[in-house]
Amino acid sequence: MAEVTLRAITKSFGDVKIIKGVDLQIADGEFCVFVGPSGCGKSTLLRMIAGLEDITSGSLAIGGKEMADVEPSDRGVAMVFQSYALYPHMTVKDNISFGLRMTGHKPAEIEPKLRRAAEMLQLTHLLDRKPSQLSGGQRQRVAIGRAIVREPQVFLFDEPLSNLDAALRVQMRTEIGKLHHDLGATMIYVTHDQVEAMTMADKIVVLNGGVIEQVGSPLELYHRPRNLFVAGFIGSPKMNVIPGTASPAGEGRIEVTLKDGAKVTLDGGGATVSSGQSVTLGIRPEHLTPGRVGLKATVRLAEYLGSETMFYAALADGSEIAVKADGLAKAAIGSSLDIGLNPAACHLFDANGMAIIHGDLTR
Amino acid sequence: MALQRSSRWSQRRLAPWLFLAPGALLFLLYVIIPIGQSIWISFYDWDGLGAAKWIGLRNYSDLIDDDSFYTSLYNNMWWLVLYLLAIPAGLAIALFLNQTVTGIRLYKSLFFFPFVISQVVVGLIFSWFYAPDFGLLPRIIGFFTGTQTAILADERYATFGIIAAGLWPQIAYCMILYLTGLNNINPEQVEAARMDNAKGFAMLWYIVIPQLRPATFIALVVTVIGALRSFDLVSIMTAGGPYGSTRVLSYFMYEQSLSEYGTAMGYGAAIAVVLFAIMLVFISLFITRMLMQERNA
Repeated sequence: MAEVTLRAITKSFGDVKIIKGVDLQIADGEFCVFVGPSGCGKSTLLRMIAGLEDITSGSLAIGGKEMADVEPSDRGVAMVFQSYALYPHMTVKDNISFGLRMTGHKPAEIEPKLRRAAEMLQLTHLLDRKPSQLSGGQRQRVAIGRAIVREPQVFLFDEPLSNLDAALRVQMRTEIGKLHHDLGATMIYVTHDQVEAMTMADKIVVLNGGVIEQVGSPLELYHRPRNLFVAGFIGSPKMNVIPGTASPAGEGRIEVTLKDGAKVTLDGGGATVSSGQSVTLGIRPEHLTPGRVGLKATVRLAEYLGSETMFYAALADGSEIAVKADGLAKAAIGSSLDIGLNPAACHLFDANGMAIIHGDLTR
Repeated sequence: MALQRSSRWSQRRLAPWLFLAPGALLFLLYVIIPIGQSIWISFYDWDGLGAAKWIGLRNYSDLIDDDSFYTSLYNNMWWLVLYLLAIPAGLAIALFLNQTVTGIRLYKSLFFFPFVISQVVVGLIFSWFYAPDFGLLPRIIGFFTGTQTAILADERYATFGIIAAGLWPQIAYCMILYLTGLNNINPEQVEAARMDNAKGFAMLWYIVIPQLRPATFIALVVTVIGALRSFDLVSIMTAGGPYGSTRVLSYFMYEQSLSEYGTAMGYGAAIAVVLFAIMLVFISLFITRMLMQERNA
């Protein structure tokens, strides 16, 4: 059993606080992704779990055992680094088996583990090569192989795909997913790419400025973002946010007046607002429909992607709005566009950016 | 059309040689030709001014019977062996200085200092350090043993005293080479090794030192060549004495042909040729290794 428990973890470099109190529970066998913008502390948090950074305060437990004073190599974790960090002077075979040799395994024990890992990652024919003779994807696999042979309880990945080209990234993404399925180990994966997060994770942890903004499954974060930051970070293209004011409209409904004067009535779902309260309306581009009555906008840019068409338009007050339309939709630049919006898909955030209404279509 | 193609072709053929010409010409003039001349002169009896007399291999046969030659050769061997200590010592200091502490730059420059000052100054400083009466070392030895030892006046210790002086800047040189090498090691690799349970000496032996191979190679080259061509310190500190016991080949050559007392150009040239032959062994080894590495890369 290797659940990972973080309690009130903080990290400071001198006077600078990088991690400002993180509580997190990662279940055994879970694939957990830390996602957030650069400098949000996601890599630091991972390195603290690995034992490469000291914990300033708080407690970290892996498999129920307190880890703060345990050496990185004794934590039962293995890490795949962003730069792969392969040892350039060693062959693939030596790279993979180095950790086993250092922990005092005998050659007879190492050989079968090495073979198994190499087969699993299709590295068998490359075992005698040096890292400099491998392609990016192959190096990546060696780095993963080095982690696998140690049979860790927890795998840590630090932006492992960021040095690969787009096609290879998609391929490795599925391979890592398959690996997780086959090994059943706990995996913690750091990325700034929300597509990676959405496609791989059981649980996503959105970090910003050293604190957790929200923890949840990919679809939970997509449908029920807790605040404006998560709403903007998860989902591509980004959620549209339009400022306005809200007033109660009777029968539990809320009327939102947008900046350009358009009015939208939402089902409050139990939420209440004070009259004239300033709010932000959030609506994803895919929940807007061009050619229906609703908002009025002027087309600024159209991207015809074949499967879909993206319109970037400006409302009367100048604010930008992105619309994801059918691949056959057409509109000339500069022409006016009616945009219908589904009230059930509208999110509403208060002045502090916290969600009042979730536009959760799965309800 | 055909003309154009052929002119472009000859341009491509010629251009590399034209670019090489200035360097090659200077190399020829100042290195290759003098080597040939030295070898040529070593077959003559010549005082540098008068008529040169062809004596064939006589200079070399004289050399074989000359005790001073064996002293020089023997001392050069000690130089070579002890100078190599500069490599591990430089590595040790580099490892020590390769950390982030306030003021580390100051410490680094202090350690680098002996390499910056002239060999002549190094020789003088160490001469004073060894000097009886006012030198620090004889006083320390005197404090413990009751008798003062004049290092540079004692045949048994003089050469080692000079080598110690030479090691001081040489260690600094090796240290700089290793500091640069350490800078190039990917910190993630060190972290990966930590995760792989490589600690302390294992980390150094399996991860750090193998990656410092280019630095070690350069350090070896400059140290071996530095040891073989040692001259300035011998000249400053003892002038070959006492009783010629600290001579090395290059100093012996200078004594024989260029000093106030020596005008034996042919004999000096023969010594130079022997020194050149010894160096050639090492240089060939280095070049072979470099070529092999280039082929593998």
